[in-house]
Amino acid sequence: MSRLFVGTFVAGLLLAGLAASFWPLPGHTRYRSLTTVLPDGGRQEDFIIRWPDDRVGRNGENGAGLPADAATGAAVLEDSAGQRVSAETFRVRDTDDNVIGVASRMAGTGGAIADTNRSVSNWLVVIPSRGAIFLSQPDAFDTTARQRDTVNGVIALSTMQNRALWNNTTERRITAATPRYAGRILRGTSEFAGLSGSFSETWKLDGINADGSTHGRIILSTLSERTE
Amino acid sequence: MRWLIGILGLTLGIVAGAALLLFNPLTVRGPLAPIDANLVPDKSYRMDDYRGMSPDLVSLLRGSARSGEAALAAPALANLRMAIIVLPAGDGRPAALAVKVSTLAEQNSLWRARLGTLDYWNLFWPGEGSVFANGHSNYWPLVQDRFLAMRPGGKVEAETAYALSAPPPAGTLTGVSGAAGRYAGYIGEIRESLLPAAAGEPGWQLSLKASPPPLRSR
Repeated sequence: MSRLFVGTFVAGLLLAGLAASFWPLPGHTRYRSLTTVLPDGGRQEDFIIRWPDDRVGRNGENGAGLPADAATGAAVLEDSAGQRVSAETFRVRDTDDNVIGVASRMAGTGGAIADTNRSVSNWLVVIPSRGAIFLSQPDAFDTTARQRDTVNGVIALSTMQNRALWNNTTERRITAATPRYAGRILRGTSEFAGLSGSFSETWKLDGINADGSTHGRIILSTLSERTE
Repeated sequence: MRWLIGILGLTLGIVAGAALLLFNPLTVRGPLAPIDANLVPDKSYRMDDYRGMSPDLVSLLRGSARSGEAALAAPALANLRMAIIVLPAGDGRPAALAVKVSTLAEQNSLWRARLGTLDYWNLFWPGEGSVFANGHSNYWPLVQDRFLAMRPGGKVEAETAYALSAPPPAGTLTGVSGAAGRYAGYIGEIRESLLPAAAGEPGWQLSLKASPPPLRSR
């Protein structure tokens, strides 16, 4: 009897060990990274976001019945001095149109952040299978989302979705143009670790709908090299 | 009688094996030391408005059950969570707006007592500046607590706060990087805790310490 107990006890120990060894812990779906090696050195990788389709709405948000430039998945924080910060959340695609990750765009104005009528924006791009990349840039103009009180609560209004922004043009470079102030890759993690370089943000208008709302693309074009 | 002894031996063996795995001092590494509370106030916040993977152990062990959210239904986004968070004002600091994205860590290993997420933050203080931060959260202490709760009289979530920030997996660097405004160029550390409090109360806690980079002589 005691040999049976010891034998099954050891079998139980082994079973626990085997379960720990072979338990199929989940991973992430991975897409091949679509980078271009440039002739003069460095690597270029573009990330694409379609608005409004790629906005990641907050719980309970519904775009129905909202103004044409209302944005889902956005929030605004403004202090009593009118200094404002906005956050917008998106899905991110590669140049083959695969959804590969998520990104947030945070922009702020005022005080120590930016000159009058301008903003500074940060992009946090997270690709679960590859890591994250942190981007920061001074903007060519104030790109923060605004908020408005309505009978259904507070809504966020997006600059890129505002039809008035697109008078006589279908493309706007958001990164301030002066080379000294080009967008910077601050840091990366995991596969992006050790990368440094620059990036630019461009908004491209694809069309204006009958109700006055717009649709288009945000293109984040990164140019990086490994420094570590 | 023989099969009863066999089942008893097997069950006790499995329980002993699980206990050895969960509390093995050779593999279980404690959380990172907390940042001195005199230097950095802890900010408690709620994250009930997250989208994507649930912050529970089942999701970490088996992957996220599809929530049916169209925005995060793509295969590459199955095991991530994102939220817009307001960090309240207080302790001499104004309120901040933040985005947190957590992805399931692919370096998770039950043998190495590692079951966690990689966490990415972007925090913005109106008129002041912004920082990025990333850290590694290990939920192993919660697994240990769940196991101990199976004892007679055991209690689920016995701790008042779980220090989640743990040393990152090999090849992963964590920390704070100043991005804009008066925090541009700052570097520092991040700590996070889970507060298993009652519904309606803040469930998470964040501490950030960031300082100007050291001066370099030419």
